Amino acid sequence: MKTRRDFLRSTLLGASATWTLPMFVERTFAQLHGDAKDLAVQPVTGKDGPILVVLQLAGGNDGLNTLVPFADDDYRRARPKLAKTEKQVLRLSDSIGLNASMPWLASQFHEGDLAIVQGVGYPNPNRSHFVSTSIWETADPANRSNTGWLGRYFDNDCPGADPTVGISFSKTQPEAFGAVKNPGICLSSPELYRWIHGEGKASSAEEFFAELNRPDPDDTPQEGGSIAMPAGGKPGGLRGESNLDFLERVALDAQVSSAKILELAAKHKTRVAYDGTPLARSLNLVARMIAGRLPTRVFYVSHGGFDTHNNQGNTHDRLLGQLDGALKSFMADLKEQGNADRVVVMTFSEFGRRVGENASGGTDHGQGSCLFTLGQPVKGGLYGKHPSLSDLADGDLKFTTDFRGVYATVLENWLKAPSKPILRGDFAKLGFV
Amino acid sequence: MLPQAPDSWTLAEAAHLLNRAGFGGSPADVIALHALGRTKAVDSLLQPGEAIGAIPLPAWATSDQVAADFRERAAQRALVQAAIKTMGPEEAEGYRKEAFKEAQRIDRQRMVEGRGWWFRKMLRTKAPLREKMTLFWHDHFATSQQKVREPGLLLLQNELFRRHATGDFRALTHAILWDPAMMLYLDTQSSKRGRPNENFAREVMELFTLGEGHYTEQDIREAARAFTGYEFRRIDASTRHNKRQWDEGEKTVFGKTGRFTGDDVIDLIFEKPEAARLMACKLWEYFAAEDPPPAAVDALADTLRRANFQVAPLLREIFLSKQFYSDAVVRNQIKCPIQFLVQLLKQLELDEAPRAYTQFSQEQLGQVLFQPPNVAGWDWGKAWINTNTLLTRYNLAGYLTKGSLKTPGTETAPPMASQDEVEMDGAPMTPDAAPPPQPPPPEKAKGDRAKKMLNAMELAARFWKGPDYEKIAPRSLRKRPADLVDSLGFRFFQSELPDKHRKRFIAFAEEKQGVVFTNHEVAELAHLMLSTPDYQLV
Repeated sequence: MKTRRDFLRSTLLGASATWTLPMFVERTFAQLHGDAKDLAVQPVTGKDGPILVVLQLAGGNDGLNTLVPFADDDYRRARPKLAKTEKQVLRLSDSIGLNASMPWLASQFHEGDLAIVQGVGYPNPNRSHFVSTSIWETADPANRSNTGWLGRYFDNDCPGADPTVGISFSKTQPEAFGAVKNPGICLSSPELYRWIHGEGKASSAEEFFAELNRPDPDDTPQEGGSIAMPAGGKPGGLRGESNLDFLERVALDAQVSSAKILELAAKHKTRVAYDGTPLARSLNLVARMIAGRLPTRVFYVSHGGFDTHNNQGNTHDRLLGQLDGALKSFMADLKEQGNADRVVVMTFSEFGRRVGENASGGTDHGQGSCLFTLGQPVKGGLYGKHPSLSDLADGDLKFTTDFRGVYATVLENWLKAPSKPILRGDFAKLGFV
Repeated sequence: MLPQAPDSWTLAEAAHLLNRAGFGGSPADVIALHALGRTKAVDSLLQPGEAIGAIPLPAWATSDQVAADFRERAAQRALVQAAIKTMGPEEAEGYRKEAFKEAQRIDRQRMVEGRGWWFRKMLRTKAPLREKMTLFWHDHFATSQQKVREPGLLLLQNELFRRHATGDFRALTHAILWDPAMMLYLDTQSSKRGRPNENFAREVMELFTLGEGHYTEQDIREAARAFTGYEFRRIDASTRHNKRQWDEGEKTVFGKTGRFTGDDVIDLIFEKPEAARLMACKLWEYFAAEDPPPAAVDALADTLRRANFQVAPLLREIFLSKQFYSDAVVRNQIKCPIQFLVQLLKQLELDEAPRAYTQFSQEQLGQVLFQPPNVAGWDWGKAWINTNTLLTRYNLAGYLTKGSLKTPGTETAPPMASQDEVEMDGAPMTPDAAPPPQPPPPEKAKGDRAKKMLNAMELAARFWKGPDYEKIAPRSLRKRPADLVDSLGFRFFQSELPDKHRKRFIAFAEEKQGVVFTNHEVAELAHLMLSTPDYQLV
């Protein structure tokens, strides 16, 4: 069996930079093979598998002005200033229309590639950004879980996977990636996701750094640290793995993923034009990573600014317009690459906003909201029931679809992973993919 | 009693004590502590000569000034209320926003200042164990600015932790019931007769004292009734137990029945053996290692009970025990970000960080003082480390050793600068429905904020002298690469380097040696030594 060093030699440091196998697979291949028969799914390590892009609308997206119930009198009454009229929306049905800032998404709806799930939420909603975000990301309404729903997917269903199984383009790791074994990686920008030293690329410092940040070739692999071990211990750490072994593993992951991502980012430029918004830049990176055939299953990007307490009108429309533009470029890019059938995008936001507008021409934190799933594999249409605007809970929409049902659909029908162990329960699937 | 270590000890053991009971230090600090002998060294940490107020609080954070500010703001609120009476809703909203804008700006500024104050205190204090325990209590009785939104109250709570640093755990738990920041954080002050809020009752048992499984849901419901009527008054920042809002009826908690107050319930809690066990276990984990052997927990819990919940005797037993200096413990703890940052500055013999460094690096590494993620505090150990935080640690070490965050050969590109931060950064967050002031256009505000901070750091670096390499690595030493590496090795690791690493460092130093070994090259070597998995351990 090749050692990690041999593996690095032939890829990272050597002439050939093709990534044929995720890093841990070689080391634990035999073991994985033995374990595979007990798994509900085969190890997901290929580069042609399904990809999920999770797109966070951070701050609490106003679902009512995203998917507008323009025909509802209660809607207009509750929002004398902010309500959109029938003429101001892109009609999807006799009662529902899409915010007019999203013409491309409306076209995708009509083409059957956009599914909109209505009234998504969870019981006993929490109106704190932090708590509610945490609930969505951990899929635990009690907010007690220290792993995220995607992290549990990596742990349970991607054994032996490369650290790039999940990539978040953000400053801090999203809670959704919290995992015991493999939390994926997060970075703000590929150019900066690297060790920065004082000298040029050819400097010997790089070489010394590389040597210092990889386990010694003479070390036998720590059986206790095997990636195929059952989950246990704390996030980020395997049961029985020493702190130093753990640190060395992360250091190697950092080094390997850094080199890989830098290389791919440099190599793959897209021909599709993107806007200059942060979201468009992030999605552009995602497209380049996909083009580079990283074995990534989940990408996570964020689009911020939805906390529209004041003068919401223009701000909210502009944010949705940016979303529309960024997704349009992204999907065109994937199509050109020939990867459009491999990618599903799912949006989420920690909560919707109150039904009634406030005195500042904005809306305060509320409950249930809508979310989008987009992509060629998606069965477009409206899912779930639009919440009633007359039967409210303390001024808020009552959710009609549990968000874990959306997750269950994505996990089972798209990522082909059993959802029960990840979501810790059975949730009705929605069939949008 | 845990088996004791002999009084004679090694430099490495003295360094270990200083690292864990404090935030480490320079080689000279280690040598000075070692000279005392083990027992005296431990006692010097437990009974520091430095007064609590030696590094005084910011002027706005003294209890008198906090109370005065609350009174002033209450008066201001009354004026605003009066002024908006005659206005329409829209005008009123605008007026109110304008009126409180300045106060909110001041609060944001103060929190950054308070964070810097505590960080500098950890860095400069001659009573490091007191600060280390203050950090412990801050994590144990976790309270966050994101909900409390009152820097003054958080600093007062911080002083409470400092006063009780190695003192009486039971008394501190009573005090925390009456602590204004905690009252706001866990909603005790909105818990009233007939409508008890279970938040505090649950956390006080589950997280602060007993741990899950040592109480029933019924105990919590009953205790919540006892915890009614505790009020924090915004008019003058005072607290009281309002008997009219207190449920004076009989409650049954842990099988005992009476007309309990909240303080009574806390006394009942401390009659249970688990109160001492949980604290003994947490303190061992904080200072020594995860997953303590049950026998050690028993011994320490026993000490804590016999000392009537005074923490100092328990700490003394830990620091004098044989186990504390065992191979399984020494250099086998992953530094928390605060430890990493403070210790690095101390090792480089810097008593000030470049401007904006503390705030920026705490955010990047995932441990912002006064902002634990939730009431359970931070996740420790391996949870601090992921590929991004590890690279960030390496690059922050580069910044401190070399004085720049910029990628060589690029124009702007600072490491970890994120133009695409999520919206929460900088913009005020509302834990409830209260509308925050109008933030500037979101994505712009964020980019600007990160940029501003990085620019401030780059600017600071330009005027900042950095470590004194002439002292850290005297010219004479630079002629002998192996000795230079060993000297820096003791400074950064306080133990013998693994041979394979030592050889690599020496090879690097030899390569650098060339014609002359400049300060820049020492910085390069130091940065390389700090950019290792090993350096993350303490």
